[in-house]
Order: sequence, then C-alpha cells, then structure tokens
Amino acid sequence: MSDQEQDKDPVLSSSLSRPLFIWSALLLLSLGWGLWDEIYGTRPWKSYQAQFAKVYTAYLRRVRPHEAGFEKEIRASADYRKLDSEMQAAEKTVSAQVAEIDRKVNQELVPRILALNDPFQEVRGHIGALTYQIETTDSESSKNSKRQEIAKLRQEKHSIKLPGDEKPEEMDFGLMDKTLQDMKNEKAQLLQQRVEILKPATELRAQREKYVSDRIADVSADTLTGLITKMQDFDIHIRQIHIKDVELVDRCESCHLGTREPVTLTKADIGSEVFVSHPNKELLKIHDPEKFGCTPCHGGNGAAEDSVLKAHGRHKFWLWPLHYRENFEAGCQQCHVKEIVTEMADTLNSGREIFRRRGCMGCHRYEGFDREPDEMTTVTQQIRQLEQQKAEWTREIGFTTDKADKTRSNEEAQRLYQHANDLKVRITGLDAKIEQADIRSSDLIREVKKVGPSLKEVRMKMRKEWIPVWLEDPHKWRPGTKMPTFRLDPEEIRQIGAFIWQSGVTGNLPSQAKGDPVKGKEAFETRGCMACHSMGEGNERQGGDFAANLSRVGEKDNYDYIVRWIHNPRERTLPYCPFERRDLTAEDYKKKGLPFVFDMDHDKCPNDGHELQVEQMTPMPSLRLSIDEARDIASYLMTRKHDNVTYAAADYLDDPQLKSKGQFLVRYYGCAGCHEISGLEEELRIGTELTKEGSKPLERLDFALLGHEAEDQGWYTHKGFFEHKLQNPAVYDTGKEKPNKFDRLKMPNFNLSKPEIDQVATFLLGSVDSTMPERYHFDPADQRQDIIDGWWVVRKYNCMGCHQVHIGQTTVFMVLPRYQDPDWKDQKPPSLIGEGARVNPQWLMRFLTNPSLSDTDANRDGVRQYLKARMPTFYFSSGEIQKLVRFFAAMSSQAAPYIAPKMEMVSDQERTMARQLFSSEGAPCLKCHMTGDPKHDARATAPSFLIARERLKPGWTERWIVHPEMMQPGTAMPSGLFRRDGERWVFAGPTPPSFQTYARDHADLLVRYMFQFTPEELNRLRASAGAGAGR
Amino acid sequence: MDLHQLWTIISLPDNVPIVLLMFVVPFYTWYALRQAFANDRLIGELEANPALAKTHHRKTQPWKPGWAKEVHVWPFLLRIEFLAAIIVTLILMIWSITLNAPLEEPSNPTLTMNPSKAPWYFLGLQEMLVYFDPWIAGVVMPSLIIVGLMVIPYIDSNPLGNGYYTFKQRKSAILTFIFGFIVLWVTMIVIGTLIRGPGWMWFWPGTTWDHNRLEFAVNRDLPDIFGIKGRVAKIIFGAVVCGLYGAVAGWFIHKLIAGRSLMIGKWKLIKEQPFNQRIFKRMSLLQYAVMQTFLIIMLALPIKILARLLFRIKYVWVTPWFNV
Repeated sequence: MSDQEQDKDPVLSSSLSRPLFIWSALLLLSLGWGLWDEIYGTRPWKSYQAQFAKVYTAYLRRVRPHEAGFEKEIRASADYRKLDSEMQAAEKTVSAQVAEIDRKVNQELVPRILALNDPFQEVRGHIGALTYQIETTDSESSKNSKRQEIAKLRQEKHSIKLPGDEKPEEMDFGLMDKTLQDMKNEKAQLLQQRVEILKPATELRAQREKYVSDRIADVSADTLTGLITKMQDFDIHIRQIHIKDVELVDRCESCHLGTREPVTLTKADIGSEVFVSHPNKELLKIHDPEKFGCTPCHGGNGAAEDSVLKAHGRHKFWLWPLHYRENFEAGCQQCHVKEIVTEMADTLNSGREIFRRRGCMGCHRYEGFDREPDEMTTVTQQIRQLEQQKAEWTREIGFTTDKADKTRSNEEAQRLYQHANDLKVRITGLDAKIEQADIRSSDLIREVKKVGPSLKEVRMKMRKEWIPVWLEDPHKWRPGTKMPTFRLDPEEIRQIGAFIWQSGVTGNLPSQAKGDPVKGKEAFETRGCMACHSMGEGNERQGGDFAANLSRVGEKDNYDYIVRWIHNPRERTLPYCPFERRDLTAEDYKKKGLPFVFDMDHDKCPNDGHELQVEQMTPMPSLRLSIDEARDIASYLMTRKHDNVTYAAADYLDDPQLKSKGQFLVRYYGCAGCHEISGLEEELRIGTELTKEGSKPLERLDFALLGHEAEDQGWYTHKGFFEHKLQNPAVYDTGKEKPNKFDRLKMPNFNLSKPEIDQVATFLLGSVDSTMPERYHFDPADQRQDIIDGWWVVRKYNCMGCHQVHIGQTTVFMVLPRYQDPDWKDQKPPSLIGEGARVNPQWLMRFLTNPSLSDTDANRDGVRQYLKARMPTFYFSSGEIQKLVRFFAAMSSQAAPYIAPKMEMVSDQERTMARQLFSSEGAPCLKCHMTGDPKHDARATAPSFLIARERLKPGWTERWIVHPEMMQPGTAMPSGLFRRDGERWVFAGPTPPSFQTYARDHADLLVRYMFQFTPEELNRLRASAGAGAGR
Repeated sequence: MDLHQLWTIISLPDNVPIVLLMFVVPFYTWYALRQAFANDRLIGELEANPALAKTHHRKTQPWKPGWAKEVHVWPFLLRIEFLAAIIVTLILMIWSITLNAPLEEPSNPTLTMNPSKAPWYFLGLQEMLVYFDPWIAGVVMPSLIIVGLMVIPYIDSNPLGNGYYTFKQRKSAILTFIFGFIVLWVTMIVIGTLIRGPGWMWFWPGTTWDHNRLEFAVNRDLPDIFGIKGRVAKIIFGAVVCGLYGAVAGWFIHKLIAGRSLMIGKWKLIKEQPFNQRIFKRMSLLQYAVMQTFLIIMLALPIKILARLLFRIKYVWVTPWFNV
C-alpha cells in the first residue's frame, strides 16, 4: 500500500461496491432458490404428475396397437360384418328422410325461431316489468295507468321479416307468441320423427358395439385413444377427494395417479410403484373413494403433500401412519369391528382368529369377543328389569282397582277398571319377553366355551408325571400347541402342578375294554377327527390346527377317560353351579332325595334351582360313535407316543403345602382365562383391554429401557411395539432390575411365526378409536347382520374344517393326502356354498339339532350315510341354530322366513314319464343316489330322494339338475343332462317315447316328481332299476 | 456420549435460535466491548491532548490532515446499513427455506408432553419456576422485570456515553446489563432449552434424555434445616434471613454505587471509584432507593439458584401466603 493511498480518508475513499454486489447477487440467488422451493421443492407431486403423464402415455401407446389388432380381428369376423352391413343398410334406407328433416329443422325452422325470438322477448320483458310494478304499487290509480300501458304494448304492431318470407309481416304480441309456439312445436315433432325413423339403425349399431365390447376383456382401443387424448391435455394440479361432512381431504391421488385409471396398471407396465392401479377393484367398488377417501383405510396424512414422508405420515407427529404392506388390512378393523370374518381381509381374519383361538382373549378383554358372557350380563339385567316392571304394574293394578272400587263416579270407575285390565294384558306381554330372555339365558350357559381343556378332570384324564414336563415348556413337548410357554422356575412348576392336581375332581370312570388300534386309526382318519386335530410331527403333520396335535397323546392320557371323551366329549363328571360357585357332588343330590342325574333336561341346581353347567365347556362335538368305535379310536390314540420316554416321578403333586402357593400362582398367571379350574371359575381377566390398543398414545406403551433403541432403529411405533412384544413377550423387561419376580411381565410366549405376528399386529393396529363417524361403521340392519353373527358360530365350531363355507376357501379335507385319491374324492364333506338357497331352513334346524335325523339310530348321518366322515352333533343351543340358519339364508340372499312355493301335483301320466326317465339309461339317478338298500348305499355318492321334499328348495333343485357343475365344480353329479329348447329345458339324452308329445319343461317335471317322492315310489323304482340292471 | 441425542436437540428447528444465541451473544458483546475500549483509549488520548481534542471528531482513527471532519449519513452510513440489511435478509431467506416451523401432533388434553417447554423466549421464566414459588416466579418476577426495565431511564443519572460505545463512562450500567441479561436471562434460556430434559431433570449435554431416569433429590426449606418447626417461627426466621440478606447485599451494592472502597480484613474487595462517586452525588434519594431495591432483588436470583442447585434448599422464607 503506498503512502498516498494510506493518506486517503478510508471512510470517504473506500468502496463498498464489491461486497454490495456479492451480497446482492447472493440475495437474488436465494430469491431464486425460494421461488424454486415454492414451486417444486415443497410440491413434489408436480414432478410425479409430469412423470406420470410421460410414462402413462408411453404405456398407452405401447398397448394400443396390440389392442387395436385384437379388435380388428373381431371386426373382421363374419358376425360383426353381418351386423355392420345390416346397420349400414338400415341407415341407408332412411338417410334421405333424415336428411330432409335435418334440412327443414336446421335451415328453415331454427333461423325463423331465432329471428322472431328477439322482438318477442323484448315485449314480454317489458310487460313482465310493468306487471311487477303493478303488484308492488299501492296506489290504485297508478296500477290502472300501468294496466293501460300493458294493454297498449300488447296491441302494438311490429313489422317483422322472417327469413324465407317475401315481405315483413305486421304482428302484435299475441300473434308473435302463437307463431313462435307453433314453430317450436313443429321442430319438436320433426326431431321426434327423426328418432323414430332412425330407431332400427340405432338398435343395430348398439348391437354391433356390444358385440365388440363383449369380446374385449379390459378396455377397447377407442378407450385407449380417448385416454391418450386425455393425457395430452393432462393438467398438473392437485387431485383431491374432499368429503365435506367428514372434513376429510385426501390428496393421495396427486401422486398415485394410476389408482383409479380404467386401465389396470402394474409396476411392470408403468415402471413405478407410485402409479399402479388399486390392486383390488372389487374392494374399491364397495368402498367408493369419493365416499370413503383413502386415509380412513390406509392411514397416512391425506392433506400433506410437501414430502413423501409427511404424506405417508410415518413420522412421530402423525398419529395414523400409513399401514405397511403386511398390515394393510388393519384399516378394515376400525369399521368392521363387530366381525370375526371380513370378506377380502384374510390377514385380519387370521389375526382375529389367533386372538380368539390361541386364547389371547382369555387374559385380554376385547369388546365383541366375549360375546356370550357379555350377552349373559345384558340378558340377566334385562330379566331383572322386566321383573321389576312386572311387579310395578301388578302393584298399580291393585291400587287402580282399589281406587275404582271406592270412586263414586261410575264413569271414573269404568276408566280405572279399563286401565287395570290394560295393564294385565300388558303384563302378559312382559311374560312373553321374560320367557324369551330365560331361554336365551339358559342357552348362553351352553354357549360359553373355554379355550383350553377343563383342568377339573385332570386326575381322571392325566398321568401325573406328565404335568410338570408340560408346564415347563408346552411347545417343547408339542410344537405349535395353543398353550403358551410361561417363564416359570422349577419351584413355580411344582406349586402350580400341585394345585392343579389337587383341585381336580374325582368321579366314577368305568373301566373300558381294549379296542382295535388298526380299526381306530382308520376311523380317526376318516370319521372327521382330522378336520380339527392333527397327527404326526414336523413335516409328517397332517390335519387341522383348530384343536390339539395328538401325536403324543398316548404318553399322557388315561385310556378309560379318552374312551369316555370320544364317546361323548360333553360329559361332565360333576355339574357346576354358578350361583354357589362350586361343583355339585352326588351328596348334594342325595340330600334333596334326588337321583344324581344331570344333563340338558336336568340342569337345575337341586339346592337353589339355578341353571347348572352340565356340559364340558368345549366346542368338541360328538361324532355319535358306538362305544366300540370310541374304544378303537382311543386304543389307537394310546399307541401314539414316543418310544422310551420316561417321566420323572412327581409325587410332590400331592403335597398339600404346595397347593396354596400354587393357587396364588394359577391366579397370578391367569390360567383360569382359558381353563376351567376348580375354585377359579369366576376369575377376572388379568391382562389389559385391547379394544382400542392401536390408538393408545405411543407414550403409554411401555418400551421400558428399549425406547431409545427403538427410536434409533425406527420401531418406536405401535407396529414395532406389538411385533416385538408378540415375538418375545418379555422383551420389555430387558435390562430392568426387578428382583421381585411378580413385578416381571407375565405374558407367556405363544411362539408365533412371523406371518402370525403380522396377522395379530394387523388386528391390533386396526383396533383403534375410530375417527370415522358412526355411520361409516359396518353395522347393517339387514341380512348382512346375520352373516356377521353367523361367522362367529361358524368359527367357534370350526365348520370350515370340513365344509367350504365361502368361495375360495380350503378345508382340511381338501388337503389331506388320503382325499386326493380318486376313490376318496367324493368322500369329502359337502360344500356349503349356496346352502341357504339349497335347503329348507326348517329342515336345516332339525338337522343341526340332530344330524342323524333319527331318534332311534343315532349312529348314522342323516343325509349322506355313504360318507365315512360324519356330521357331528354339536349340541348347539337354540340361539346358535337360529344364527346358523339365518347365516346360511343370508349368505345365499334368501328371504326369511321361508315359505315353500306351492307345487303342482304330478299327473299320473307325468309320474309314469318321470319314472321312465329316472330309470332310463340316459339318467341313471339311482346309480349314485342312495336308495335305502345297504348294498347299494355303500357305493352311493349322493343323498336319497326321500328326504328331498323336506330338505330342498324346488328352485334350487331345478337349477342344480340343470347346471350342477356351475354350482359345485368337480361334483359327481353329471352336467349337461338338459338342453335349452326355446323357453324350456328338455332332457338331453335319449328320452322314452312318451316324452315326444310332452310340451312342458322336463327339469320342472323331475323336480315336481322328486318333491312328491314316497318310500313306495322308491321301492318301485328300485325294483324296475334292479330289473333293468339284471337285464 | 450420546451424539445422536445432542444432534436431535440442537437440530430441532425450535432450538436453532438458542444455539445461534450461544454464539452470537458472546460475539457481539465482545465486539461492542472492543469498540468501547478503543473509544475509551481515544477519550484518554484526547483528554491528555487538548489541542487534538479541538480538531478531532472521529472516534476510531487518529485524525489526519485532509480528512473530513464529518461525513454525511448518506451515503457513508446508509450504505453500510443497506449492506447489513441485505445480509440479514439473506440469512432470514435461507433460514425460512430450510427450517420449517415444526407442526406437532394434535393436542391431547389427557396426555402432556414430556418435557413440555414454553416457547424459547419464555424458557428463562420457566426455568425460574424450579427455584421459586409459582407465584413469585410466574407473577412477581416477570412484573418486576418489566417495571425494572421501565425505571432504567429514571434511575440513570449518568449523562455520558450517548451515541458512542464506551465502557469507562458507563461501567456500572454495562456490568449490570451483562449480569442481568447475559448471565441470568440468556443462561437460563440456554439451560431451559438444552439442559432440561424429561421430568425437567438436569441432563448435561451429550447424555441421553432417558424417560425412565430417576433422581434422588430431597429439597428442604431453610427453616427445616435449622430445625425450626412452628409456622410463626418459620415466618419470623425467613423474614430475618431475608432481611439479613437485604442488609448485606444493600451494603455491598451501596459501596459499588457510591464508589467507596470495601475492605474485609486486609483484602480490598472493591476499589475506590471517583467516577461513581460523582454520579452518586447526582442521585436523589428516591432514585437511589429504587435502584437499590431492584439490584438487591436481581442479586437474589442467582443466590437462590445456587442455593437450590448446590445446597438443595427449596425455600428460605416459608409463609402461608408466599414462599421465597
């Protein structure tokens, strides 16, 4: 720096231009940045939309030629060309007429109407304004002057030259009005005429279009072209669904643009997951996004759109994050909360089923899952209220009558007596109500089931030594069992075992003769046991998972007890009185001088008259086996054991000192939630209620010491909490210092697999305090409610182990290896799809009560005696039967109650004809259907005609014989027996000569014949068929 | 050392101003004091050289012949201010683009967040709640702060130091400000923001904010330490202690204001200040009394904080109506 420069005054001479320039430039840049951020940075959906427009157009262009080529083929077909030429011809014949009408309308009438319209409207407007003034003026004189003015206007002539006229015409208002009206009428008439003339051509055109659209699966080339045009004008803007009354704004489709496109888009089609179509269009049809939005089901923040993270709501400040793929169906639960089975939500259904069947509900209350106990409370309360009301009215009757006796006025007395009489009648109404409630209440005692077996019978059923082994780790002894593994120390095992053992009841258990294990194995595998129970270990395992795996049952159980159990699983050693809260013994009966008999007909407590629990609380049904067969099966089961297994002696189980400690532990661990245990029958639940667990504030879920780890690893969410807890229920004790073992978490380990954990987590994630208004909740008042109720019963008794109840469902029988064999294929229990349409509900009620349909011979199946597998007796309560019958009716959309249609009697001639057809070679009905002849029936594969009248509905029967293959793919019933002939069905095979002159419907004839079938008729047929076979 | 936790705290958009504050406040204090000391040096120079004083009007540079005695506001001041405005605008621009206002979850009346914190500018007040009765910390103290700020022009009897940076001429005012604003107010905000975690517990920077943390701390009232039981006795005891504090603090502050030396034994705690003596003479009794009152109360704040943090003393003066 030179001296001269140094001498300059720095304040005056220094320049700030450079910093000013640099900083201004930076400021300008930041402005640019700010603008970019405003337009694109915080609106990422714009880029998504631009990308969508590009890839979607490209995709449409790619598929159009293919689609067009396909359509070209259709258009080249003879049928199409015939339709096309017909259409062209029809158009041609009328084209001259149409052209004439068009000319007249467009070139003559329309210009004339337009020309007259203006002057007419001017006058009309003026008159209208004056009329309004008259109406609003008070002064009569000014009204009159206005009226005169109007009259003048009406008479005033206007010179109007209409197009086509030579010279102008003088018209007043009235004439203008009339002329205009006439012209308009003429135009309407001509247009109507045009439609009439074109009608044949239009219809033909519609036929031609339908011909094409019927033959195209997805979308036509025209639609594709339309879509491409649409995409050319694609406008980048927010696409939102706004549902006003719910205050819902979902802008998901601003990025997910392909969701509702008519073309089904997959990731392979369009290259990005963002733009794919909704995978389930059916579901979307039921839940129209315009009404339901997106986020109510999927979660996420529908209004947010400045980043993917925020829109999906997967950050800690959004309480309803987007569900992950494996938990998608959680969204269903909040509205479908009353259901155990929700269609199209298999994951959720499995989650609910685990919750119910594995005994989660034994410890955790979940609203709706304790159906029977909850209903019991309601019914009891209802009975109490009704009785109170009755007492009140009775008292009032007394008072009123009293008052009436004393009153002086005759009229008043009459009125009071009348009132008393009315009350009496009303009381009879109450009696009816009370009766219903009483029935329901005694039903409910039968309906309550336990998840696990009764531990009251343990002394009669078990080998003592086995108990400690089982308690230590049930999953080690029997992998996959329902019973979870508790974290017990050896001392606890001894104490719990001792309590269980010593609290067991003892009773009279007849000693049974040995059975034949080989026959037993066959029976076990074919009678239907395997629909619920499985056999074999590891990969050998076969059968259902509804009930226990019986592979090692021989190691633990007592043969005599098993025989009794198989013969009648509901047989109880001692009845339980819920009022006295204890098991009654023979002593109790003896004291009252009563025989020690308790069953459905003797279910009142001898001490206090309360309803007794006379059955085991198990869903296990009776297969109505003979005692010999029960012995065979039991003998087989006793052979199921591991070789050379020894159990340590467990004499300490008889130590009374251990018992009291054991009782504390049994109560502490909540064993009574799943098992019936003496003295603990009325125990309350020990777990937390889970009805709204999914919306419990995250802060209230105790991650304990794992909170920070969870946050770091990204599972500090409800999902993460549930999954870790289910995977290892003790996980939140990790690192905790809890010297007192009763402070530790006690939830046992269910050893759920990863998919099972996902299913339960889905269920829990969906268990929220719904933000949707009540009317969105699925609580229908129509037949759909019957379906909801019915599913609970169906699931409770595992009907789906044997029967297909809904389309696409697999039964255990369908996968059992034995039933893959062609000989055994027809031995599967029948499908129940369409059962409501098939059977008469009255009959179904009888069948469900007693599936043998016989009072004398219980050892049989009422309908399909040829099946080895047998419909068991479930001892349903009447309420359950009602629910099931209504369920099947609702599943098939049948109106209730059922009124059988009147059937026309078969004339003698028709009977002969039907007989001939029945026994003809073309329709050998009796070859497969049962006839009552034991030799024949052994090979039969279909029920007897004798029960058709009571069992079936005629409409269904006709549809069945015409198209059995459609109703039940793979059925043994032959299809194509009938062919369509005009308006009627005629038999497709060779018909007896008598049919030549018969002009009526053959299928209808057969149905009518079937519905008037008698045993005599059957014998007759059998005889003739036998004769035929003999020939 | 939980760096993740540290980062979570300082990167929270809400806390960014505080982190900035920690650097900006010391920097500008230092910067202003530097200028003040330079001016003080010049003042000394000019006082020693009356000839220079007659011609010199510039404060930072020594005067040279040919240099302007005065410069115009426009453009010489305004262009600098304009540049500053641009820089500040740029900073605000970038700040507003990159850091969005945090919008948290919908409020839930049944669930209080933990820690629940006031907006950053109120965190000093919230921190005071730890040391005082809510009535004192929430009502009395804030009111006193506002009134105290209002009385500053009234009690300020020092006519010097207007329009330029100086330390020498406004020593007590500047020291009082630094003590009151930086030491008390800013520090409490920083503590409230960065140090106070779940349960309003003290978490040193870099430790994990653990919701499960438990701390054993029993706070006792001063009378209880001395074994004083009765209510009246407690009131009297508290009044005496507070009175004693007032007397000692007042005496100490008086020495400062009046510029007198303070000897304790052979230690000279405060030097004699002739400048302060001159200012003191200009004060009326009312001005002096008001000033004393506010300074005594202000000094009480850190003393109570230390008593609470170091000796776990909850209250000194316990009465049924208020606690101090």
